[in-house]
Amino acid sequence: MQVDVQANESPVAPMTVASAPRKNSLRSSRRRALRLGLLFVSPWIAGFLLFFTYPFFATIYYSFTDFNGVGAAHWIGFANYVNLFRDPLFKTSIFNTFYYTAIELPLSTVAALGLALLLNMNARGRAVYRTIFYIPSIVPIVASCMIFVWLFNPAAGIVNDLLIDAHMPSPDWFFSVAWSKPSFILLGLWGLGQPMVIYLAGLQAVPRDMYEVAALDGAGPWQRLRYITLPMISPVIFFNAILQLVLCIAYFTPAQVIESADIGGPGTSTMFYVQYLYEQAFLFLKLGYSSAMAFFLFVMSAVIMVLLFRSSSRWVYYASEQQ
Amino acid sequence: MPASSSRSVRRAGGSLAKHATLIVVSVLLGFPLLWMVLTSLKTDPQSLAIPPLWWPHPFVWSNYPDMLSAVPFWRFVLNTLMYAGVTIVGVCISSSIVAYGFSRIRWRGRDVVFQVMVGTLLIPFFATLIPLFTMYKHFHMVGWYLPLMIPTFLGSSVFSTFLLRQFFMTIPESLSDAARVDGANEFMIYSRIILPMAKPALATVILFQFIYCWNDFLGPLIYINNPVWDPLSLGLNLILGTYTTDWPWVMAAATAATAPIIILFFLTQRTFIKGIAIQGTGVKG
Repeated sequence: MQVDVQANESPVAPMTVASAPRKNSLRSSRRRALRLGLLFVSPWIAGFLLFFTYPFFATIYYSFTDFNGVGAAHWIGFANYVNLFRDPLFKTSIFNTFYYTAIELPLSTVAALGLALLLNMNARGRAVYRTIFYIPSIVPIVASCMIFVWLFNPAAGIVNDLLIDAHMPSPDWFFSVAWSKPSFILLGLWGLGQPMVIYLAGLQAVPRDMYEVAALDGAGPWQRLRYITLPMISPVIFFNAILQLVLCIAYFTPAQVIESADIGGPGTSTMFYVQYLYEQAFLFLKLGYSSAMAFFLFVMSAVIMVLLFRSSSRWVYYASEQQ
Repeated sequence: MPASSSRSVRRAGGSLAKHATLIVVSVLLGFPLLWMVLTSLKTDPQSLAIPPLWWPHPFVWSNYPDMLSAVPFWRFVLNTLMYAGVTIVGVCISSSIVAYGFSRIRWRGRDVVFQVMVGTLLIPFFATLIPLFTMYKHFHMVGWYLPLMIPTFLGSSVFSTFLLRQFFMTIPESLSDAARVDGANEFMIYSRIILPMAKPALATVILFQFIYCWNDFLGPLIYINNPVWDPLSLGLNLILGTYTTDWPWVMAAATAATAPIIILFFLTQRTFIKGIAIQGTGVKG
């Protein structure tokens, strides 16, 4: 508020240092810096108000109404929430999302870190391997869905051909209630280029001499990994885990692509939370009901994030804290 | 010297194991794309043959022109290029201005506001979607790309702002000070000094925004409801739904959509890898 008053009193744009009076007090130069800073950041602030603040509160409001996008919204209290918890599909969608996250998150962490460790071994031709490891993650999502549904096609897919040759069970993958979620997890594990590159950058930032000292003390490769590498890159693990978690909670596109083309995800076996929300909002226009789902999603992910950040002090090691 | 020779044997064995692992993993990760291309060059019966036919015989190149003429593929590509072109302009302008405010000017509360901005990345897209959709519908903007374009002019690309801020922070403050002494105001310093120096960072931003648009499925799914305006992602989905059992065609479409991105990747690999690695630099202590 005070800033605005000040802005009205003084000439509008004392933007240049040269035009400002020489004997600027520290306070007024700080105030000018604040005004300038806010001016430069103002596009984002406008976007934040318009695309986050407003819809956030509007979502809460809608969630207490029977809004359907056409008529006026009527206040119906907690009815949407009560109905949500009676809705079996809502529970199914939570279960499916939880299933996917609980398996995908640890697997993708281990796999991306494993790929980065492989690349960090300084083998000859590393650039080529890095390219091959990275490329799957830039394949357009719909294209990677096409490829995986084809690879894992129950009748004519190459994967089942190879499995049959090896006398192994050959499930129906995307078409099977039991195997559809694991199929999506496999698809997710194919495109880990981004966390992999971030891990690699983290690994390369670990000081070499730490390893040399450890080797002198007789530490083997496993001990070096356990007691040097993992603690040193724990901030990177934390960062990637959070990014991956956000993706898992909002898991949508591959399931939507494959189900809308009717080539997998039988019944409700791959009805994920956000997909159910999308369906309720954009197919059935139950905007009040889906707003309740959206707000519940926000609360749940906020709770998970807070828990994760709280736990981080116990396992994430920041080198600068020690100094 | 038995000790050293056993060590060198062990080292050679380790190196062999290392390369064997790298090659096995490469084959696993590379095979899906190889199989995509091979399938796209087969006839329908060939693609379904049991046991599988590894090598197309003969190569059926005509799958490509046939598929491209059966669906408005080029229209999808054009729509995508337009979507990418406009949002690239938006991101380059707004994210660089905002990043300047977050890095080259010291003001009270700056770092808190910056943290709030990064924090918005944790908010699920769907948590705020419904009122946004209603708002755009109210202003008759649903059906075309405006709802996906407007936010990019208001600093919606947090990744780009973050990346540009990291870059701006590496430019010495003395450059700005010298310009201030010469009477340049903050906007002139931004547009004439900092921005021209940030070309490599802007190149990264452009590259990532292009790939984001090329791959974006969710945004167009919500807002584009006229097939004439479908971008590549929705077009591919349409192809998948229409020609589901015609795998060579589906794989030809997948190849046609993937090839440009992979070529782009090969041309810009360094910019690419550096750009992603920078994302992780905000993490450290």
